[in-house]
Order: sequence, then structure tokens, then C-alpha cells
Amino acid sequence: MKNFILKNRFTLLLTALTAYIAVLVAEGAITGREAQLLDFDNPFFEFNVNNLEEFIENRQ
Amino acid sequence: MDKFAAIQFYALLKREILEHRNLFIGAPAVLALLILVASIWVASQLDQAEIVSTMEYLAVLFDGLSPFDMAPFFMIVSVPFIMTLYVCCLIYLVNTLFQERKDMSVLFWQSMPVSNFKTVLSKIVTVVVVAPIFYIAIIFALYLVGMIWLTVLGLTNDVDLVGIGWMFLAAVASLFLIYLSAVIASLWLFPTVGWLLLFSAFARKTPLLWAGGVFILLGFLESFIFGSEYLANWAQSRSTNLNQYLIFDFSNVVDKLFNYDMLFGIVLGSILVTGAVYMRRFTDW
Repeated sequence: MKNFILKNRFTLLLTALTAYIAVLVAEGAITGREAQLLDFDNPFFEFNVNNLEEFIENRQ
Repeated sequence: MDKFAAIQFYALLKREILEHRNLFIGAPAVLALLILVASIWVASQLDQAEIVSTMEYLAVLFDGLSPFDMAPFFMIVSVPFIMTLYVCCLIYLVNTLFQERKDMSVLFWQSMPVSNFKTVLSKIVTVVVVAPIFYIAIIFALYLVGMIWLTVLGLTNDVDLVGIGWMFLAAVASLFLIYLSAVIASLWLFPTVGWLLLFSAFARKTPLLWAGGVFILLGFLESFIFGSEYLANWAQSRSTNLNQYLIFDFSNVVDKLFNYDMLFGIVLGSILVTGAVYMRRFTDW
């Protein structure tokens, strides 16, 4: 197995990417990960793309 | 870590900085110089009365306030520096392992008693820990020059400078917030660091194109074959939410460093870094 993975640069790249994607997808499926849109919370103001209209109204 | 290993690692870090001093010292120094020249130009456009009223306003604004409470104000000044740091780190990560193979210096470095793991680790530590120190030092120098300039202006115009002193303390306190933000951002973006290093070690030509192209291709394949968007969701979650890595309050540091998303990102990045370490054995060009 190790010899196959380290056979050449392409097999190594493929293995690293497969491991990366496998862990990422497994975690995403288990936790139900969804994209977190721009939510910029700080001491001075709150900004969330989901509430853009509310943000503009508050500014006015 | 014994003394020899520590000295060895220090030498590796020193080598990275010396070989990339344009990115880590030159770029922020030029930016600071530009900001200084722009500030002098703006000040030269104001008349004497405006300068005096501005200084009096600044002195009153910060007088007696806690420097730590006012520190986030000065993080705005650091925005161009942080952006420059990100761009320079991107250039560095994409080119560092690639360039070594291109100029064949990888053969020399591999003949040294230093493992591939230590070499790659030194590159990560350079980006995460060392590079921000140079940027902070240059921002501090900029503040210092600005402070001396304001002091001279204050003395020549007979303005009370006590408030300016408080302003300087707030500016210095902000340097810690900026440094912590830079370090936490680098750790937060650790999967990207690993991704760029992997393709830097892999590509024979145009590593940036490989890194970007493969990412887009994988996202497309995932969407096309499985109908899911975990990769895209993951990338979006790690990049767009500034709140996850910007520090405005010292009490947030531990929470931002030790949370599930941060640690999971480090685990994922470690997979790619491991790939980069093993990839470094293929030295052919």
C-alpha cells in the first residue's frame, strides 16, 4: 500500500486529496454543515448578509 | 526539543526570512512609507488652524480612556498591512517548495541533517508566527514616527499632549490584537495553507493554477456526481466570516483558538501538510 501511494507524485496527490475530501464530506454529512454567509459581528456594529435589508434600515 | 534541534529550527526560520525578505520585510516597509508620505501630503494641504484643532480633538478624544478599550479603533490602520500580509503569504506558500525544486536547491537542503517534516514545518511557522511579527514591528515603527511627528507639531503649536499619549498607548495595545488576529487567521486558514503547500510541492509548472484549478474541478465533480456541496460550503465557511478570526477583545482569544471548527480545520490542514512533506521526496523537475 505504502509503495503504491509513494510510487509517484500523482498517486501521492490523489491519496492526499482523497483523504482530505473523505474526511471533509464525512464531517459535513454528520454535522449537516451549511455555508456560513458573511456574518461580521464586532463591538461597533453587526453585519449579516442574510439580514442586509435590516442592516440598511438600522443604518438609516 | 533539545538545544541542537532548537538551533537547527531557528536556522531554518532564519533561512526562510532571509530568502523571502522582500515579502516579509520589504513589502510592509514600502507600504508604511507610502502611508507616511500620503499622511504628510494630507497634512501639508491643511492650514495651521485646522492642524491645531485636529490635534486638540485627538487629545480630547482619547484622554483618560482605557487603551485596551480603544485599541480596536486602531485596527483599521492595520487593514492594508493585514491584506498585504495575506497576499505575501499566498505568494510565499505557492512558491516556496516549488522554487526549491526549480533551482535545485532542494538537493542541497536534503543533503543537510534536516528532515522534510522540519523543513515544511519551518515554512508553516514562518507564515503563522514569524511573518506577522515583522508586520507588527513595521506598524509600530509607523506609529512611533507618527507620534514623534504629532509631538513636534503639538509642541510648536502649544497643544496639550496628554491625550496624544493615551492615543499612543491604545495604538500599542492594538498591535497585540492585530498580531493575535493574524495568528488566529493563519490557523483558521490552515487547510488553505496545507493546500497551497501540497501543490507547491507537486506542480512542475504554475502551482497557483494547479491549486486553484484542482479545487474548482473537485467542487464541480462533487456537485456533478454526488449532488452535494460540502467542499464549496466548507470553503465559504472558512473564508467569508471575519468574525471567526478577528480579535477585538483579549477575552475572546481562548474561545477562538480552541473551538471545534478551528481544531477540525487544523486536522484537515494536517492531512494536506503530510501530503506536502511526502511530496517533497519527488525532487525531479
